[in-house]
Amino acid sequence: MEEKLKKIQKDYQNKISSSKSLKDLDEIFIALFGKNGQVDLLSHQFKSLPKDELKTIGLLFNQIKQELEKEINYNRLRIKELIYKSLEKENFTMTPSRWEAKKRKGHLHLATQFKKEIIDLFEKLGFQQFDAPHIEFDKYNFEDLNIPKDHPSRDMQDTLYIDVGNLKLEPGLMLLRTHTSNFWPRLMEKGKTPIKAMSFDRCFRYEAVDARHSHTFNQFEIAVVGENITMANLKYLSDYLLKAILGKEAKSRFRPKYYPFVEPGVGIDSLCVFCHGKGCKICSGTGWFEIAGAGMIHPNVYTATGLDPKKYTGLAWGFGPDRILMLKHGIEDIRYFLEGDLKFLEQY
Amino acid sequence: MKVSLSWLKELVNYKLTPSQLADKLSLASIGVKEFTDDYLELDLTYNRGDLLSLRGVAREVAAITGSSLAFSSSNSYDYPSLPKTPVEIENSELSAVQCVAKIEGLKVGASPKDWIKKLADCGMRSVNNIADVTNLIMLEYGQPLHSFDALTVKDETIKVRLAKPREEITTLDGKLRKLTSDDIVLADREKPLDVAGVMGGKDTEVKQSTSTILLSASMFNPVMVRKTSNRLGLSSEASRRFQHGLTKTNLLQALTAAIKMYEDLGGKLTAINLAGDLENNPKKIILTQKKINSLLGINIDPELVESYLKKLGFTLASQGLALRAWEVTVPYWRLDVTIEEDLIEEIARMYGYDKIEGESLKDVQVEKLDQTFYNFIYDLKVSLKDVGLTEVQTYSFYSTDVLSLLDSDKQKLVKVANPISSETEYLRQSIWPNLLEVVGKNLRRGYSDIGIFEIGKAFNNINGEPKEEYRLAVALCNGSANPLQELNQIALDLSLHLEGAKLNKGAKLNKALFHPKRQMENLAEVHLRVLNKLGIEKRVAVLEINL
Repeated sequence: MEEKLKKIQKDYQNKISSSKSLKDLDEIFIALFGKNGQVDLLSHQFKSLPKDELKTIGLLFNQIKQELEKEINYNRLRIKELIYKSLEKENFTMTPSRWEAKKRKGHLHLATQFKKEIIDLFEKLGFQQFDAPHIEFDKYNFEDLNIPKDHPSRDMQDTLYIDVGNLKLEPGLMLLRTHTSNFWPRLMEKGKTPIKAMSFDRCFRYEAVDARHSHTFNQFEIAVVGENITMANLKYLSDYLLKAILGKEAKSRFRPKYYPFVEPGVGIDSLCVFCHGKGCKICSGTGWFEIAGAGMIHPNVYTATGLDPKKYTGLAWGFGPDRILMLKHGIEDIRYFLEGDLKFLEQY
Repeated sequence: MKVSLSWLKELVNYKLTPSQLADKLSLASIGVKEFTDDYLELDLTYNRGDLLSLRGVAREVAAITGSSLAFSSSNSYDYPSLPKTPVEIENSELSAVQCVAKIEGLKVGASPKDWIKKLADCGMRSVNNIADVTNLIMLEYGQPLHSFDALTVKDETIKVRLAKPREEITTLDGKLRKLTSDDIVLADREKPLDVAGVMGGKDTEVKQSTSTILLSASMFNPVMVRKTSNRLGLSSEASRRFQHGLTKTNLLQALTAAIKMYEDLGGKLTAINLAGDLENNPKKIILTQKKINSLLGINIDPELVESYLKKLGFTLASQGLALRAWEVTVPYWRLDVTIEEDLIEEIARMYGYDKIEGESLKDVQVEKLDQTFYNFIYDLKVSLKDVGLTEVQTYSFYSTDVLSLLDSDKQKLVKVANPISSETEYLRQSIWPNLLEVVGKNLRRGYSDIGIFEIGKAFNNINGEPKEEYRLAVALCNGSANPLQELNQIALDLSLHLEGAKLNKGAKLNKALFHPKRQMENLAEVHLRVLNKLGIEKRVAVLEINL
């Protein structure tokens, strides 16, 4: 038995080291370790060995097995390096010049399609897009929005901060924006009032990823600033959006809710269109589901951005499109949006 | 905050089922997380610190249901003339008020059943009768109290001061806590007794043998309490209340009620000290009918305005009918109401948000914002789709797999100071590596022909300064030995779609990561070595462009 083993090792060592391609090595691997391969067959014979012999043979067997595997791996790398070298000999060729590209069926990401739908909807009302940076100063993400430092409401939005060590800046000065709301102070400080703007873009939070949460997500937000902007306008815009994206039956309901940057602040529920308000799993039996946060822009936001809080009123309205898409399309895991599974993306 | 419903009924005579009450509260006051027959749990927001108490919730319930309260909010504390317990406040920034009452002749024992039920319904455990008094009072009034075993407090002196550097204390949970000079402590002449607003000390807690206690009621600097609580990772029922802010009137009411409960247990008040500034300065806000109407967009009868605010405990002095204005005095328990808009919110929720009818925006001429770029991006996406590519969106970070692949100079990447994990430590500098990862995943799922693109932001660290810009990246794996040919064709087709606009700005590609020959300015075949590292055996070509 021992001799047989050593013979296999010797034979295959030669084969392995003289192999010329990855395919050769794959074949050798199968010939050795595959079902009915040399090594595999040999191990079947162990049953018939006396106990003390089995012990020594077992050890030797494992040793030889490992050595062969190691050699195959080593030679894989050797051959790969040869292949990498041979890339030098490959040509940069673009011929034929008019190469017929394969015809595939392309798809837009679900979020892009939804964005287009909502942007078009609000463009009809005269809203214009305005995107703010993803890496943002504390000032625009928090301070200007009536969320001062050391304020407990900062705990509502766990934040990812940028390492500004090299800049010798105060830690915590720059961050990944936690909401799209950073667009309003950026726009308001330009003084270009009245404002009717919107943004559909990416935000970040310090949050572990699971089926319902993600540290990276989209928000859609509108802000209107002018004279005589009212809560009745907010109600109108809420119903306008809900009916357009969830169907005519949908309608909004306001509930008191606290957001530091608005006063009054409301949470917006939609009548559950899945059970017609009767109560189902999606709305936890209540007939309504929460869809957005909104309110009348807090006077401190005007003061912080150089506008006169006595002259202006304004409304703002924001929601998470990812969650609506999940509801509308029965998508059970938020990770589908950012993990690039073509089987998922090609459905839309 | 869990609210015991049987206890709430002792304080306000509302006539609703738990489910009706939950509905009413969530539409007019505050969200309700869950309810049972025994309790309802409020989804507490930062502003409504007053609802961290049964009395606060009772006031709210009385206002929104029109029922009456079983207690009065007026203040009467009239202590007999007694010796003063020694109290020192190092600095009024740390604590505005520090009261200590000495109560003798107590006997530690089990609490009565109804106390235990009240505590349990509110989510707390019964400890013993002496400790339970402080917790019951905290739940009812929202004012945390603490009882020290008087024998363990040197000279029965309580001092409010900053912790000394390297000072330590073993807290009630048995853990040794290292303090810093940013923490407030209650201390005697020798040692810290209590991490102020967060947790009491083990050595001074009430024991079986305790007969004399020092009952402490404090108001600490909420920001400092919050920082200490965060640093120690210790959030308690008490620390939440200290952070939300306390009021002097309420503190005295709570102290008086606690002393009464101890007296009922056979205790005797023998010394007391109400140290600090006990003066209450009620806030006054001018409210006008005009502002109410202009913010809400509806007309609310001034009589209703008055009635809603009165129900909530505000007092109004009319500034004259013609002016349609009031001077409104805010009740002491509503720390969150400071401006006119806050009052308008109170009016709106009492009136009922459901009665506000939608009204379309008046046509106003707004300043034009340049929309060219947004339109360009969308058009580009459609063109990419039309040439047969599928849009993916990937995270704005480099995964650890991608990082090891690129072997890139981390100094040039934008780094997150507090990553959730190593997968969110660096922001992506290019998009194509993320697309490569997607190609790998889909090859493993059985795809053999993959053409994908992403338009999104990439982040660069320019001498320490983070910069972001929009990029287009495409990855093509078509099964051929030279996918660059087809990708080049796609790029040409695309420039026809877009009349060549803007597609000539190359994002510089790191040469070593690409095929030694098949590289163009912003178009290249990825080096097989790089692909192999991701488990990809097929050839992949990529493109990346600054937009």
